[in-house]
Amino acid sequence: MTDVPNESISSRLAKLKSQPVVLGIDNLGKTYPRPDGSTTTALAKVSFSVHRREFMTVIGPSGCGKSSLIRILAGLEDATSGQMLLDGKPDSGPCPDRGMVFQGYTLFPWLTVLKNVMFGLKMGGMGFDQARSEALQWIDLVGLTKFADVYPHQLSGGMKQRVAIARALANKPRILLMDEPFGALDAQTRAQMQAYLLQIWQNVNLTVLFITHDLDEAIYLADRIAVLGAPTPDIPHGHLQEIIDVPLARPRTPEQFTSEPFLATKRRIEGLIHKRVVPTMVEPLPMIKLTQVGDEVV
Amino acid sequence: MIRSSLRRLATVAIAVLGLGAAAAAPLTAADALKVAYSDWPGWVAFDIAIQKGWYKEAGVDVEFVWMEYVPSMEAFQAGKVDAVTVTNGDQLVMGAAGKSSKAILINDISFGNDMIVAKAGITSIKDLKGKKIGLELGFVEHLMLLKALEANGMTEADVTLVNVPTNDTPQTLASGGVDAIGAWQPNSGAALKSVPGSKAIYTSKDVPGLIYDVVAVSTESLGTRKAEWANFVAVWPKIVAFIQDPKTKDEAVKIMAARVNVPAAEYGLLLPGTKFFDTAMAKKAFMPTEGLDSVLGSSKVANAFNLANKVYEAKIDPAAFLDASLVQALP
Amino acid sequence: MAERWFAVRRDLSPRRQTLLTVGAFVLPLLVWCVISYVPFVWHPLITVTNPGGSSFLAKDMMIDRGMFAAENAKVVAEGKPAAEGYRSNPVFLPPPHAVGRALYTAFLTPPVRKGEPWLHESLWHSLTIIFWGFTAAAIIGVPIGVLCGTFDFFAKLTEPFVDFIRYMPAPAFGALMVAVCGINDGPKIAIIFIGTFFQLVLVVANTTRQTDRALLEAAQTLGAKGRHLVLHVVLPGILPNLYNDLRILLGWAWTYLIVAELIGASSGISYFINQQGKYRNYDNVFAGIIMIGMIGLITDQVLAILGRVLFPWQGKPPGKLGKIILACVGLFRRKKVAV
Ligand SMILES: Nc1ncnc2c1ncn2[C@@H]1O[C@H](COP(=O)(O)OP(=O)(O)O)[C@@H](O)[C@H]1O
Ligand SMILES: [Mg+2]
Repeated sequence: MTDVPNESISSRLAKLKSQPVVLGIDNLGKTYPRPDGSTTTALAKVSFSVHRREFMTVIGPSGCGKSSLIRILAGLEDATSGQMLLDGKPDSGPCPDRGMVFQGYTLFPWLTVLKNVMFGLKMGGMGFDQARSEALQWIDLVGLTKFADVYPHQLSGGMKQRVAIARALANKPRILLMDEPFGALDAQTRAQMQAYLLQIWQNVNLTVLFITHDLDEAIYLADRIAVLGAPTPDIPHGHLQEIIDVPLARPRTPEQFTSEPFLATKRRIEGLIHKRVVPTMVEPLPMIKLTQVGDEVV
Repeated sequence: MIRSSLRRLATVAIAVLGLGAAAAAPLTAADALKVAYSDWPGWVAFDIAIQKGWYKEAGVDVEFVWMEYVPSMEAFQAGKVDAVTVTNGDQLVMGAAGKSSKAILINDISFGNDMIVAKAGITSIKDLKGKKIGLELGFVEHLMLLKALEANGMTEADVTLVNVPTNDTPQTLASGGVDAIGAWQPNSGAALKSVPGSKAIYTSKDVPGLIYDVVAVSTESLGTRKAEWANFVAVWPKIVAFIQDPKTKDEAVKIMAARVNVPAAEYGLLLPGTKFFDTAMAKKAFMPTEGLDSVLGSSKVANAFNLANKVYEAKIDPAAFLDASLVQALP
Repeated sequence: MAERWFAVRRDLSPRRQTLLTVGAFVLPLLVWCVISYVPFVWHPLITVTNPGGSSFLAKDMMIDRGMFAAENAKVVAEGKPAAEGYRSNPVFLPPPHAVGRALYTAFLTPPVRKGEPWLHESLWHSLTIIFWGFTAAAIIGVPIGVLCGTFDFFAKLTEPFVDFIRYMPAPAFGALMVAVCGINDGPKIAIIFIGTFFQLVLVVANTTRQTDRALLEAAQTLGAKGRHLVLHVVLPGILPNLYNDLRILLGWAWTYLIVAELIGASSGISYFINQQGKYRNYDNVFAGIIMIGMIGLITDQVLAILGRVLFPWQGKPPGKLGKIILACVGLFRRKKVAV
């Protein structure tokens, strides 16, 4: 099945890394104030780069600062230290060059699909007719032409997220940021959406930074994976552990999920993430005889 | 679409503001004389002349504005009307608050229509000792109650007064919250009818002349438009004659009843409680004598009452609130 | 499975909903009928038909039952004929048929007095007072409320004062408003304005604060900034809630009408109610109250349906009436295009 020679994969990755850096992340850190006056450091000293045309995923356990990171990159949050560079220039604040897709769809409920996709174009000062025809192309790209005049409440979760992607893409962003975009979808839709996303990425000149906590998703989609670690006794904040190349050929197919390189990568990341999970003592739970519970129910 | 409706809304806002500004414009000489009148038989009687067009005949342009009693005084004090129908005592209250005015016409004296109505079981003023009485503090019924207490050798300290708007007195008595109320018609009558066993234990008939009902004109208006006011005053005897002439009495009652929106038969019952003043009576009452037989004497009593009860503290001269000249000039 | 009447946060079937809605009106009416027509329910008074030997009782007098019994016992003990009467309710509670008749005749009886408005003209006058007072409050209050809800600057600048002044009873400003706005409609409109404006600012500010932060962030990443965020995200986002707020506040406006119409020149439906109350015509008073209630109910229902037409993205079905409105709007639009 995936008998693609390793060289072609590694040469592809090498070629990718030789592309110009779209998004540079330089020593980024985020500290939140606590109500009691102290502070929590969600993230510190994170540095990595995303290259042009690259599909990069960020993975890490819950609470390791993934959302903080991507919100800083989207400009929705200010970094407490370090900086972000877009095409080599320091950048901050929200801006359509760094498009964002949220887990919670965030479609404007009062606008139809078409108007949602037109939103960013009109904010950019584009005239109605041009915005409309461009928006229709993007809607076509995500396969929702039939639903252009429908309100979001009439769409399924997967469709909503496709509209959100079209909406972000319509602005022709330099990089598309996605924060667990498929986290709220059921397994089947999620798999479908992954395939859609890869297709779109293939067809459009696009760089993606994709956050997830799902290992399979991270590997299946990515060229490279940034593994973030949760705070530990030694490092009391979220931090970058490692960046892993994914040794899988493109285009990706579902069969690759069971391929040895895939499983090896998965084991490696699991090792990274899990090695820090120390079994903890918890209070013993009270013992209840099942029969008792059963009796109650019946 | 949104933009055009916004524009429409803006137009509305400007219109509203303009409306307020227009309404706030001061009264000018070119306007009709504005008289605020309210629900009291002596003043409802003006409707006869209004409906019959007698003011036009007399060559005076008068605009009557129908109001509640207290709001009518407020409008007068704010300078929004030229004249208001009030009791002589309340005219002093407005004067003490800085609104100088002259009573140019006496409509009537209350002759039973102002009442102290007590619930069943209380049959005299003496029975009120230690009881709660609801009335509008500082206004005419308060004065009448004090007169009643005085006549029975009592003082305000012997009772507990509760401030109740006159319009609400019937319900207040019915609710049992007070033992008696002070009110004028139609409220006093409503209280009598709606509270079983209640009784008028004291009325203005017991102190005739305590309450004179007059037309008070602002000093400015009287100063600048005296000829018009003379024409205004000249119509009143015609109204009184129309009410008292047995041939026209029924029509008079019908017109008055229509003003207050009640059946004529019902309204007719209120008339005996009001003694209408014809020219002769008015001329006599305008004489500067002591005692309740003259407005001045009555106003002096009211003034003493008002000072004693701290309704106001200003030293005012009751004589300055009267202008008998227009009535004295009548044939 | 049989449908349950009590299920936490579940809609009942349309049939049951209608049933309950009808019941909501029929039950109070039934209670009112029972109290009015069943002689042994309440009826705390006796209306005297024949005073008999009593010197104190008189025909048509209404008297407390206990007192009537005591008086009668006394009269009988003195060997005089007993008084007669029937049980009745206080005049404050007229029976339904009297109110029904009053409602019916109120509109058909021409005003006795020359120049006096018909009842429907009085009602219309009241409606215009409400309309202008409320519209002015909304026109000025909504933008201020939205600004307060959007920018903390405006919230801190205005809200404490607004919060302070909204506790002041609007009717207390009556005399001042007459001094400022004259004696005609000005002060009445002003009272409605004062009564609703300050509440409105706070309510709108609160609603504005409920704007979904995620939508604001999404809009920002799409390039929306400053006033565009307010105009294209905050405003449309809160519009349905704002609309509902205004619906509720419109009810408040009505509660101020009753005082507003008694300052300055008396006018409108409140004057009708007040005047009829003074002369104890409580059937007319009730008729007036019911008219206000019906107007309120009808406007609110119409506004609710209109709301579903105006905000189709909420996914609430517009209902039959709404569909008719939509069809009319559609016709209108097509015509416009054709022209
Ligand atoms: N607005 C905030 N204020 C305070 N603490 C925050 C805030 N947002 C996130 N955090 C904290 O920062 C850490 C990382 O959170 P987050 O970035 O949401 O992680 P992840 O998305 O990986 O689950 C957590 O401990 C969280 O409690
Ligand atoms: Mg997260």
